[in-house]
Amino acid sequence: MQNTDCTFICEQFTDYQENSLSSEIRAKVDTHLASCSSCRDVFQELISVIDSLHNFPTLKASTDFTSTLLSQIDTLNQETVWRKIYHASYTKVAGYAIAAGLIVAIGINIWIDPISTIQGGVKSDFAGEQTNQIQSEESLAGVTDSSTNLTADSLMLQNTTINSQNQSVQLVSGKK
Amino acid sequence: MSEKPTVTDEQLIAAFQGGDDRAFVELVDRYKDRLVNFVYRFLHDMTDAEDMVQETFLKVYKNKHAYREIAKFSTWIYTIAGNLARSELRKRKRRKTYTMSELSFDNNEFTPVDTGKGTEAIVFNSYAGEEIMKAIYNLPEPFQTIIILRDIQELSYEDISTILDIPMGTVKSRVNRARLKLQETLSYLKE
Repeated sequence: MQNTDCTFICEQFTDYQENSLSSEIRAKVDTHLASCSSCRDVFQELISVIDSLHNFPTLKASTDFTSTLLSQIDTLNQETVWRKIYHASYTKVAGYAIAAGLIVAIGINIWIDPISTIQGGVKSDFAGEQTNQIQSEESLAGVTDSSTNLTADSLMLQNTTINSQNQSVQLVSGKK
Repeated sequence: MSEKPTVTDEQLIAAFQGGDDRAFVELVDRYKDRLVNFVYRFLHDMTDAEDMVQETFLKVYKNKHAYREIAKFSTWIYTIAGNLARSELRKRKRRKTYTMSELSFDNNEFTPVDTGKGTEAIVFNSYAGEEIMKAIYNLPEPFQTIIILRDIQELSYEDISTILDIPMGTVKSRVNRARLKLQETLSYLKE
């Protein structure tokens, strides 16, 4: 390119080659190319490059392209389905898990200490009293077995009852 | 010359959006070669090009409802593939994994092919083909893309304008400048 004319002419080459110039500019390019060997060379090389590009071999996708793609889509769909299931049932599953955990915890508690779990808990202040009542009942059983000294046994029973009542009072007051 | 399909791409994508997966397979069959051909010109690796085109179709599959009938399906899918290819190319250039001397082209890509226009139309030889590919690779990115779209894919200026989201006038001037740049780079072949 030698001057501004050449620069202008080169800018028109694509339109010139595609026949999309106005007749006035086309005539100008024709005239310039007829007299400027440099621009003529550039234009001829340009045409040659364009031809080469248009004749580039067309590449083809491999024969298993579509099947590979479809298997990827299958995997994608399965993942999507599982994700949907997961999200939809997440709350339910969480609820079931908590419920199961509670049941197991209660079960273990009952297994370790069945009586206090069933009877106790609610009226815990009376736990000591109940235990002492059991002890009194045991003492009473001892009295029934004894057949020789009823009076003494009765006294002992009374004492035991009094003691157990005192203990109950102590336990209750101790808790308070 | 292949016959024009009776069902348009836009009708197929509409059917696919309506739940017809066979329409998607038909679109894959229509575009897979064109897109592999397109993406390969950026990456120069057939396996990578196929992977990228697979990714393009997966994007279409997952985002089918993103397509609006205001655009041609072809420009939409070329935009997706082009964005993926250019992004990959930029990554590679940043990593400098590929230098020009390391660039290898498929051995049989540039063997002469009969285009069906007669023996005089067999214009390629392996040497020139590789030189042209290297020259395209060395072009600045906007020129590279526009040469591939216009001169290899032979898309219309209008479609290129849509794909690249630039005015038609810019497309034309960029094509001209890219061609002149290529001609300048390759002028030594004539000597």
